[in-house]
Amino acid sequence: MKRKKILALGLAMTMAMSLAACGNTADKETKAPETQASGESETAGAQNDETASADGESTSITLWTYPIGNWGNSETVDGLIASFNEAHPEIKVSVEYLDYTNGDDQVNTAIEGGQAPDLIMEGPERLVANWGAKGYMVDLTEFFEADSASDIHESAKAACQAADGAYYEYPLCMVAHCMAINERIFEEADALQYVDTENHTWTTENFFKAVQAIYDSGHQDVTAVYCNGQGGDQGTRALINNLYSSTFTNPEHTEYTVNTPENIKALEELAAQDGVNFDASLVGGDEITLFRNGTLAMSLCWNAAQQTNSEMGEAGKTINGDNIIPMLFPSDDGKTELCGGIWGFGIFNNGDDAKIAAAKTFIDFICNDETQVVESVKASTYFPAHQDLKGIYDGTEIADVMSTFSEYFMPSMGDYYQVVPGWATARTEWWNMLQRIGTGGDAATEVETFVTNANAAVTAEQ
Amino acid sequence: MKASAGTARSRVLARRETRSAYLFLLPSLIFFVGFVIVPMVMCVITSFFDSTMGKDTVDVFIGVQNYVELWKDSIFLRSLKNTFLIVIVSVPLTCIFSLWVASVIYNLRGPVLSTFRCIFYLPVVTGSVAVTVVWKWMFNNYYGIFNYVGKGLGLLDKNINWLGDERFALWCIILILLTTSVGQPIVLYVSALGNVDPSLVEAAEVDGANNFQAFWKIKWPSIMPTTLYILVITTINSFQCFALIQLLTSGGPNHSTDTVMYYIYYTAFKMYRYGYANAMGVVLAIFIAVLSAVQFKLAKEK
Repeated sequence: MKRKKILALGLAMTMAMSLAACGNTADKETKAPETQASGESETAGAQNDETASADGESTSITLWTYPIGNWGNSETVDGLIASFNEAHPEIKVSVEYLDYTNGDDQVNTAIEGGQAPDLIMEGPERLVANWGAKGYMVDLTEFFEADSASDIHESAKAACQAADGAYYEYPLCMVAHCMAINERIFEEADALQYVDTENHTWTTENFFKAVQAIYDSGHQDVTAVYCNGQGGDQGTRALINNLYSSTFTNPEHTEYTVNTPENIKALEELAAQDGVNFDASLVGGDEITLFRNGTLAMSLCWNAAQQTNSEMGEAGKTINGDNIIPMLFPSDDGKTELCGGIWGFGIFNNGDDAKIAAAKTFIDFICNDETQVVESVKASTYFPAHQDLKGIYDGTEIADVMSTFSEYFMPSMGDYYQVVPGWATARTEWWNMLQRIGTGGDAATEVETFVTNANAAVTAEQ
Repeated sequence: MKASAGTARSRVLARRETRSAYLFLLPSLIFFVGFVIVPMVMCVITSFFDSTMGKDTVDVFIGVQNYVELWKDSIFLRSLKNTFLIVIVSVPLTCIFSLWVASVIYNLRGPVLSTFRCIFYLPVVTGSVAVTVVWKWMFNNYYGIFNYVGKGLGLLDKNINWLGDERFALWCIILILLTTSVGQPIVLYVSALGNVDPSLVEAAEVDGANNFQAFWKIKWPSIMPTTLYILVITTINSFQCFALIQLLTSGGPNHSTDTVMYYIYYTAFKMYRYGYANAMGVVLAIFIAVLSAVQFKLAKEK
């Protein structure tokens, strides 16, 4: 009997301690607004600076960043933060680096555990369509109302706005995702005749001719429609949508429209084409590796940062030294629409106005300060979201490549549809659909399944 | 008088010892309650709610709706089937293989025995990510060693996409699981076989028992507790197969390698359906508990 009592006491103590632990968190959460009240709610970045400096107190904020160019490199980011601290010594920024395999899980777990970072760097599909739509982000409309945002690309601005009218991201940089070919393999297969290497364009007909020519030359693995997961899936979407000029969503971004005859035709032709592997063991990163080591003749997962990447050898060349030619996706009407990548900052609403103000100051400095923004964008190895900011790569060793991308690829950036509700479900449905088609599934049936499931997710989220 | 004083004293001593014992247990108890019991209770409770991610979302009580939906969800049913296939194939194979290896090596000389133990235990102590990456290379469709050797020996006409083909992917996972699962059972069996009373075996041999009879009638019953432990642990590990799927196939192609554990992760962290995922967790726990109980019962009867 006594033993039971002691055991019960022990359990009660444990429970009490657990509850006490919970209680502490609750206290912290409820105390935050009091702090806010005493500090007055601030809005504009400039005002925040003054307040923070005036009271002489330092604020610590956390920044979580995905590997967006060198924003995933601690040495580069430390340099950017050092510049920020020269101007704002009162704000301490600690950084955590995420990857695209586990990053979302880390952020979601942190959100559910009440430990979300103050600042996060990624694109609208996460900041706006996911965490913003779920109510976790701070509205950044004030940034877009300021003069400093007057030259932000309209497409980037539109992508940062949620369905409720609020802006949950302030963009820093952008790029148009494209594809690439191995010049040597094309040359040996006499397939360069199908490619306009000067304008980086080709037609749908010539694309299939080139694939066949390379396959017939003995190079059996021409390209891979990778579908092991969502990594790099913008490449497969862009290829299929452009082949016969179709769409992924409606212009209002309220419905998935993949079930068009044009998309179905594109999928059927790709599935039937020799040399095109629907590969359920690869994601975008794996495909790039296979392209760089000369296994595949084409990559569907390319952009300016890949072209200037020298981690695996000379930039713009495969490991074997073959030239890599970046290409627009083939289209039947000569008008390619590339999927865009837009990256910037969002602020999690953790209930602490001081941290929110500090985070806004950080964004304002990194994205709007005339001198700093150049370095911030260069760190990403992409292009600035500010239209007036030109020639930032002039005088660098990648100037020519960036100029090519600026001239031939950025103008083809299409609709940024990744902000449709149910995007997380749609992405998963997409690679599952490709897997089914790759293993003999009927394209029309599978596309219909995709649209049904993806649009069900739209309804569920609205 | 003396006797009652002595009894009182022994009671005090017993109470003091009991108190000390509970105090020693307390740190573990705190962790056990905090990280096992409380989450388990929360899991069961949440499984009756439509719970999702969102700052302003409210969990809605939906009774057993999540549990009803499970049996209509074709992906869950396929995951369950895959999980059972892994358990049915992997558990007996692991036990039989490890018993065979252990019975061959357990009476070898010290250094040789240690070498074998190290070899078989290496995949267990090596990080699962490292092991998986190596296997991924070997299974690679384009430059993997299996395709290279297969084509070199004329066994394969063309490359097989081992992890990207529905016909092979799950079997590849089971093969990897076997290599990472046999280490611990081998070590346990070596130890158990070494502890079998040699006089019993010698007596049986004197009475005319052959090697098989000596094993089946003397050694096998003696190592039954170890076998039971291995069966239960291997079953639980097989049921909870997750890392290999996450790192190698993401459940594909076409859900052919989805396991219940992976589908729980996918539903909770990709689809944000916490209630539904918890319902799956509860069902999986019930299956594991029932199967473990059956194993205990059978072993006890034996």
